[in-house]
Amino acid sequence: MEQIIHILRYKLISYIRLESRFTIGNFIKNVGSGSIYFAFAVGAFFFSQNLIRFLLVDIRVGLFLLHEFTSMILFIFFMSVNLGNIIVSYSTLYKSDEVNFLLTKPVKPSKIFFLKFLDNFFYSSSTLLMVLLSMLAGYVVYFKINVLGFLLLLLNFFPFIISAGSLGVIILLIIIRFANRFGMRKVFATLGVSYFLIILIFFKINSPISLVTSIMKRYPYFDRDIYLGEFLPSIVKWLPNNWLSQSAYRIIKNDISGLMGLTYLQIALSLLLFSIALYLGHRWYFKTWLLNSRIISDKNANRKISKPFFAFEKISILKSQTESIIKRDLLLFLREPSQVIHSLVLLFLIVVFVLSVAGMKFVGLGNFYLQTMIYLSVFLFNLFFISTLSLRFIFPLISLEGLAFWKLKSAPVKINSFIKNKLIVLSSIILFISVGLSFFSNYKFGVLLTVFSLTVTLFAAAAIISINFGMGGIFSNYKEKNAIRLSSSQGATLSFLSNIVYMLFLILLLFKPVSQLFLSIMLKEYFDLTVFLQALIPIAIISIIIIYIYLKIAYRSLQKDF
Amino acid sequence: MLELKNLEKKFGNFVAVNKINLKINKGELFGFLGPNGAGKTTTIKMIVGLLSPTSGNIILDNTDVWQKPIETKMKIGYIPDQPFVYDKLTGREYLYFSGGLYNLTKNVLETRIEEQIESLKIGSWIDKRTEEYSQGMRQRIVIASSFLHNPDFIIVDEPMIGLDPQSAFLVKRLFEEKSKNGITIFMSTHSLNVVEEICTHVSIINKGNIIFSDTINQLYNLKKEKNNNLEELFIQLTNEE
Repeated sequence: MEQIIHILRYKLISYIRLESRFTIGNFIKNVGSGSIYFAFAVGAFFFSQNLIRFLLVDIRVGLFLLHEFTSMILFIFFMSVNLGNIIVSYSTLYKSDEVNFLLTKPVKPSKIFFLKFLDNFFYSSSTLLMVLLSMLAGYVVYFKINVLGFLLLLLNFFPFIISAGSLGVIILLIIIRFANRFGMRKVFATLGVSYFLIILIFFKINSPISLVTSIMKRYPYFDRDIYLGEFLPSIVKWLPNNWLSQSAYRIIKNDISGLMGLTYLQIALSLLLFSIALYLGHRWYFKTWLLNSRIISDKNANRKISKPFFAFEKISILKSQTESIIKRDLLLFLREPSQVIHSLVLLFLIVVFVLSVAGMKFVGLGNFYLQTMIYLSVFLFNLFFISTLSLRFIFPLISLEGLAFWKLKSAPVKINSFIKNKLIVLSSIILFISVGLSFFSNYKFGVLLTVFSLTVTLFAAAAIISINFGMGGIFSNYKEKNAIRLSSSQGATLSFLSNIVYMLFLILLLFKPVSQLFLSIMLKEYFDLTVFLQALIPIAIISIIIIYIYLKIAYRSLQKDF
Repeated sequence: MLELKNLEKKFGNFVAVNKINLKINKGELFGFLGPNGAGKTTTIKMIVGLLSPTSGNIILDNTDVWQKPIETKMKIGYIPDQPFVYDKLTGREYLYFSGGLYNLTKNVLETRIEEQIESLKIGSWIDKRTEEYSQGMRQRIVIASSFLHNPDFIIVDEPMIGLDPQSAFLVKRLFEEKSKNGITIFMSTHSLNVVEEICTHVSIINKGNIIFSDTINQLYNLKKEKNNNLEELFIQLTNEE
C-alpha cells in the first residue's frame, strides 16, 4: 500500500504542476473553459427543470413514465460508460509508457493494475458527468428534494457509474484472454454484435411506445403518479439503471424503506463488480499484458505487405504535396483499428437514423406548434450527428499529426494548402452525410422546405467542421496518438459546447420560418418565401464569419513553435 | 551560404539563444558543439522553421528563412535528434510521402528512393511498418528522407544517436561525401570524436552564447596548448563561460 501511495503522490504532483503552469495563453484558455463549463452546467440545470415541467405539466406523462424514460436514458449512459471504459482501459492498461516503466521496477503488476485502473477515472469524460450532475441538480430543485435526499441520490448515482466502469475493465481482461485463443478480430466482432443485440433486446423488451400505449389505455382510471411496476418486464427490474431511476422516484415520494433496498442493491453490485475487476486484475493483468504484447508482435510478424489501390507508388492526377498528405492520412486512418471501428459504428447509427426518419411526415397533426417542435428536434438531432462526426474525426486532425509533424513543418508546404489538404477528404464525407441526413428527413415535406433545410445544413456543417478544426488547433496535443482520447479531451468538450451554442442559435432562427410554414400548410394559406430568406441571410452571414474565424484560429495555431 | 545574424530565442525570461552570429560557407562540414541545454537544438529548430526567432535573422543564400520560408525550405534537408516518423507507414511509404512534400515527380522519386536504399543499406526492412523499427533504423529512414530532394544544406541534430557502429560509419562517410560535392552540412553534436573526425569548421555554444568559432585546425592548435586533450579543452571552455 505504501508503494501505491508513493506512486500516487508523484502522479498527483506531476498532474498539479502541469495544470498550474502559468502563461497568459493558459490563463485565457482556463478562464474561457471555466466560463463555458459553468454556462453549460447552468444551462443543463435549467434545461432539465424545463424538460421535467414540459413532460409533467404540458404532456402530463406522469411520474412513473418520467422515471421510466429516465431509466432508458440511464441504460444508454451505462452502456456508453461501459464501452468507453473498455477502450480507455486498453490504452491505460496495455499501451501506456508508464506501465512499461513500472514493469521494469520492483512493483507488483497487480499494483500497477490498481494504479492504472484509477487513471481511467481521470480520463473518463468529465463533460458527460458534469451535464448529468447538473441535470440531477435540476431534478432535485424541481421536486424540492432536501439535502439528505440529494445525498441519497448521489449515493445511488456514483455506485452506478462505478459498476459501469468496473464491468468495462472486467470485459477487457476477458477479451484479451479470449483474443489469444480465438483471435482479436473474432473477439471484437463478437463483442460488437453482443452490444448491438443487448441494446436491441433491451428496447424490444422495454419498448417505450408499448409502455406508453399500455399505460395510456388505462387512463383516466388510475393515478399516473403511482409506481406501476407491474407494467415493466421482470428482467428490467433487475437492471441498475432501473434501480437508479426507481430510487429517484422513491426519494420524491419519501419512501425511504423502498429506497434503502434499491440503494443496497446498487452499492452491493458496484462493490461486487469492483472487487471482481480487482481480483481478475490481480490474477490476470500481467498474463494478459504479456498476451497482448505477443498478439501484437505476432500480428506484426505475420502482416502481409499489400499495396492499397491508392498506394504512393501509383501515378496520381493530384499535385505531389496534395497527394502526399491525402494518401498519408488515408493510410494512417485505415491502419488504425479504432478509427475504422468507430467510423463503422457511426455509419451504422447514421443508417439506422436515416431509416427511422426517412419518410417521416407529421403535417396534418392539427397542431402546427407541435409539428414545429418535432421538426426542429429532428433537425437538431441531424446537427448533433454532424457535430459528433466532426468532433470525432475533425477535432483530432491537427493533433494526430503527432511528433512526426516536424517533417511537414520543416518542408516547403504552405499552411493554407496544408489546411486544405487535411480537410478536403473528411469534410467532403461529413458534408455528404449531412446533405443525406437533411434530404432524408425533409423530402416528404416538399421541395421548398427540403431546399431550405439543405442550404441551412450545408452552412451548419461547414461551420461545425471549422469550429472543430480550429478548436483542435488551439488544443493541439501532438503527444497523444489516440483519436478517441483526443476527441474526449477538455478541448474537445469545449469544442462540443461551442457547437451546441451555434446549433441553438440556428434553432432559434429556424423557429419562426418553420412554424409559419406549418401554420400556412395547416390553414392552407399562401406562404411568403421572404420569411425563409429572413432566416437564411443571418444564418449564412454568421456561419461564414464562424468558418473564417475558426480557420484563421487553426492557421495561427499551425504557426506556433513546434 | 548560411548566416545567422544576432539570432535570439527567448522562452519567457529564459534566453535559450543569445544574439548569436555565425557564417557557414558552401561545402563546409560545420560542427556545432555544446553541452546539453546549450542552445544547439533551439538554433537548429529556428533554421528549419520549427521555432520562430525572438529577434535576428537567418539568411540562406541571401534569402531570409523566415521571410521566404517555402523557397528556403526547398534547399534544406533536416535530420532531427529524435527520428519521429509515422508508425503505421512503411519506410518506403514514408520516403514517398517525404519526397512528395518537395514536389518531386513520381519517376524522380522512385529513382532517388532506390539510390537512398542502396547508399544507406536499408533495403531489407524498407517495406516493414516503421512501428517495428529500432531507433537506428528510424534514424536511417529519416536521413534517407532528408536527402531525397538533393538539398544544398543539410541541417543535422545529433546524427549519431541510436546508430550502431556500422551505421554511424556509413553516415559519417555520407556526410563527408556530400560535403565534398559542395553541400553544406550544419551538424550539432556533443560528440567530440565526430567533430574531430569529419568537421572542417567548428563552433561551440554554451548557455546560448557562441564561445568559439573557427576552423577545425584552429581548434587543434588550441588543443595543443591545452595538453592535447579535446575533452579537457571543451570542459574548460564551457566551464569558463
